[in-house]
Amino acid sequence: MEPQGEHVDDTSKLEFLRGTLDVLILKALVWGPLHGYAITNLIRRQSDDALILEEGTLYPALWRLENKGLLESEWGLSENNRKAKFYNVTPAGRRRLRNEMKTWEAYAAAVAKVLGATQPPLREELG
Amino acid sequence: MKPIPMWRRFDRLFGADRASDVKDELRFHIETKIDDLIAQGWKPEAARREAERQFGDLPAVQRMGEHIGKKIDRRKRVKDYWGDAMRDLRYAIRMLSKSPGFALVAVVTLALGIGANTAIFSAIDAVMFRPLPVVDQEHLVIFSWSARHEAKHLGMTDNGDCGDGYHCPVSAPFFNAVHGQSGIFSGVAAFSGPLEVDFSGNGPAGIAHGEYVSGDFFSTVGLKTYMGRALGPADDTPTSAPVVVLNHGYWQRAFGGDPSAVGSTVRLNGVEAAIVGIAEPGFNHLTPGKSQDFFMPLSLSMRVRSEWSGTKDHLQDPATFWVVIAARLKPGVSIKQAESVVTAIFRSQTIEATLFTENDAPVITFVPIQQGLSGESGSIAPMLNVIMAAVGFVLLIACANVAGLILARSAKRQKEMAMRQALGAGRARIIRQLLTESVLLSFGGGALGIVFAYLGVSAMTRMVESGFGEPFPFVIAPDLRVLAFTVAITLGTGILSGLAPTLRGSRSDLTRSLRENASSVPGGAHTGQRFRFGDVLVVLQVSLSIVVLVGAGLLVRTLLNLKAVNPGFDTQNLLLFGINPTMAEYKDQQMMHLYSELQERFAALPGVVSASYSDEALLAGGYSNDMVHLDGAQPKQNSETYVLSVGPQFFSTLRIPQLAGRAFNAADFTSTEETTAAIKAAEQAADKTATGSRAPPVPSHAKQGAAAPIPVIINEAFARKYFPKQNPIGMHFGNMDEDNPRVVVFRPGFQVVGIVGDTKYKDLKREIGPTMYSPLVGSHAYFELRVAGDPTAAINAVRKIVASTDSRLPIFDVRTQTQQIALTHFQERLLSRLSSFFAVLATALACIGLYGLLSYEVAMRTRELGIRMALGAQKRDLMKLVLRHGLLLSIGGVILGMAGAFGVTRFMASMLYNVRPNDPRTFMAVSGLLLLVALLACGIPALRAVRVNPLVALRSE
Repeated sequence: MEPQGEHVDDTSKLEFLRGTLDVLILKALVWGPLHGYAITNLIRRQSDDALILEEGTLYPALWRLENKGLLESEWGLSENNRKAKFYNVTPAGRRRLRNEMKTWEAYAAAVAKVLGATQPPLREELG
Repeated sequence: MKPIPMWRRFDRLFGADRASDVKDELRFHIETKIDDLIAQGWKPEAARREAERQFGDLPAVQRMGEHIGKKIDRRKRVKDYWGDAMRDLRYAIRMLSKSPGFALVAVVTLALGIGANTAIFSAIDAVMFRPLPVVDQEHLVIFSWSARHEAKHLGMTDNGDCGDGYHCPVSAPFFNAVHGQSGIFSGVAAFSGPLEVDFSGNGPAGIAHGEYVSGDFFSTVGLKTYMGRALGPADDTPTSAPVVVLNHGYWQRAFGGDPSAVGSTVRLNGVEAAIVGIAEPGFNHLTPGKSQDFFMPLSLSMRVRSEWSGTKDHLQDPATFWVVIAARLKPGVSIKQAESVVTAIFRSQTIEATLFTENDAPVITFVPIQQGLSGESGSIAPMLNVIMAAVGFVLLIACANVAGLILARSAKRQKEMAMRQALGAGRARIIRQLLTESVLLSFGGGALGIVFAYLGVSAMTRMVESGFGEPFPFVIAPDLRVLAFTVAITLGTGILSGLAPTLRGSRSDLTRSLRENASSVPGGAHTGQRFRFGDVLVVLQVSLSIVVLVGAGLLVRTLLNLKAVNPGFDTQNLLLFGINPTMAEYKDQQMMHLYSELQERFAALPGVVSASYSDEALLAGGYSNDMVHLDGAQPKQNSETYVLSVGPQFFSTLRIPQLAGRAFNAADFTSTEETTAAIKAAEQAADKTATGSRAPPVPSHAKQGAAAPIPVIINEAFARKYFPKQNPIGMHFGNMDEDNPRVVVFRPGFQVVGIVGDTKYKDLKREIGPTMYSPLVGSHAYFELRVAGDPTAAINAVRKIVASTDSRLPIFDVRTQTQQIALTHFQERLLSRLSSFFAVLATALACIGLYGLLSYEVAMRTRELGIRMALGAQKRDLMKLVLRHGLLLSIGGVILGMAGAFGVTRFMASMLYNVRPNDPRTFMAVSGLLLLVALLACGIPALRAVRVNPLVALRSE
């Protein structure tokens, strides 16, 4: 998950990094199949409106994940009887989610350590 | 998501459409967003604009979606396809291993067809279509001349370069004149040879074959050197130091590849020459089938010469045609124009030399080099065509066999196919499954066939080389194009046969085939149909086999007939070898002494009964003939006769019966020597005045009585033909009566001193003709030693004697008379062997086909046979049933085959000896043989029919 560069827009809602998008999508679908619009809503609500997905990047991410075999798709009917494409996580996708979460947590912990430091690190012992 | 109603399921009836999928998905998103915005209070129009703005670049995302969608589809398709294919393959392997006999026979049949075909075609390709080892051969042409009438007093030396219908050798002055035409040609080269020379300076004296080439031969032809330098124009002048370039192969053989050979000096017939280079490997000769050991400049031809060169200076004489011209046209020059320029030169030269008149209109045409030089391949071509035909037939039979086998097998699986269809398999799926089996078989056959092809080619090469005597001049390598072709054909057959059954079935037949049991009613709709096609295949195979068998039979009989020919002399225990003292610069008198000394010493060897010599060995493929003028015949009416010069005791050594008169004695040899010397002296004098003054000299009839006629012995045929009512002994006849204003010398004629029995001369095939024997004077000689016991035991002693007499003299062509005859008739032996092999192969394949068909029939009719048995039929009756069908097919095939053979064998007439192409005995014998073998092939299925247990048969489904 390499940061591609970030900028804060004037509404000060965080924009998304690409790799993060994949793992968020996978997590969003853990509780059952959803269509694309519902995925954006879920993520927005779960982050308490902090994370708003750029819609132009959502669908390509979904298709790429499907191509890699981490998601599978099926056409169905939405709540308002419209034809919509529903996505579901595959076993491979679940495995990938677990791995990504571990990596993400380790990364976040490391960043937090550095940012939360109250004093510079001790001099290294020379030996 | 909500459950999908039924009608919605047909949305995807015509398959997924990625583009509209993406559109729908994105549209849904936008619409839902719009709904939400409207719910938040936006106006519909503004809501739509806001939704689209929030999304971003809609078309770009759409395109991305289609692209990714296509990738997904592709991957899915591939996965499905391979999954199915793997399953088919495993199933096919399982099914094939259940009937190993069928699989083995099919694979081996295919492999034999492919292997034999490739081997033969590669051989033919090497001999007939080999590309010449020169640069850019399309623009290299050979000069060929033709005229309305024969040329007068032309001295022509043809070394067997040109194909039939072309006259290639031309004169050296003509070459020089054309060589100067640099406006038309970018290179003009001449070559002649090869010439046998005494090659010494590298160990003991040996014989090497040298090719005369002009100075720019190497550059015109595009031949490069491996080491050292090529011959150049500076080497081809009358005064330049003699140099040679060695052939790469000869350098390896004779010099062991020693690099110090370049720069060393050798002697060619006594003339010192320096080796200046080695030619690049892989070049043998422009003419296919010929090879030479080294190249020497044309200008050396007066110094290093053969005994046939005569006394004329053939570098200057426009009436001696001995060089072949190969030229490269300048790009952009029109052929017609070039030909007319060259023709004009030729015409003026030949008319001035009185070879032709204006009326004869001699012309030069350019012939592409590939077409013009055919050399050996011209004589081998008909033989190869026959073999090609035989092999083609065998391939056809093999394909028919495989097709029949596969069809019979798939007929048995009709029920299985019907079941599959009923269970929902699509036609394509079934086809693919059947195809997998045939393709598997075909690939197996193809792989094995490639192995057979390589084996076949090496076997062919070995077989041909062992019979040929000298290194076979063509290199046979498996031709990949032919291999690909035959593999394609056999694969095609396998695949088509596998497809055939599916192309017929339709849905309506399903239920019927499901209801029928395995031993379906014979003559029922499908089985009956397939039955008949199988019959056709078997009849076809049998008829093709007959054709091949007849051909083989004729060729074998030819060989047997040849072996039974009485050659007219005793061919057993005779050792032959040749000596050519002219290479060591012996003069006539010296040669006489040498020969008589050698003859004495040979005859004194223990085990040698007698020794003699002649200028040709009998039955060695060589011969000489001449025209004579019988006393009392019309002027200019000459008679043809074979001629052979012989030494003392020739007839007694060879055991040719003396019928009248006497044999040659010492006085005969002496007088012949004197006469010959006198003739030569007169010729030389006449030549000198002729080339000097260019005016025809006055014929000198006055000298006619000055020398005695040459004593000759004639054979029976000569006596019968030319002296039918008189006693020939003591009779005289004259030399050829001809107009030869250029050189006229006295010719004393011949006198008959004896008559001997007829013998074959050139080979066993040619009819015996009038032959006259004269005492051998001043020529190379082939010695014949009659040995008590194995002739080869005397070889070492012979070499020692020759070496001790003169170490410069090599002996060559050492072999026994029996070996020589075998060599001379190598073609007949090869043809006989090859055609027999193919005949056996064809018959075996046809019988396998017959056997397969009948086995299948018995298997299909098990139930019926069981019923018949239960109703009281005897074993004999059941056997008769099966045998009758088999024999009917065989007889049909035989009749068809006879008709075919009748039409085809006439093309073989030139290769046969003493047996007509339509020889009835051969035809009868072959039919009988095939019917017998076919009977055996039918026998096994018939026996199997008999062993049917009626209870088991009736119960089986």
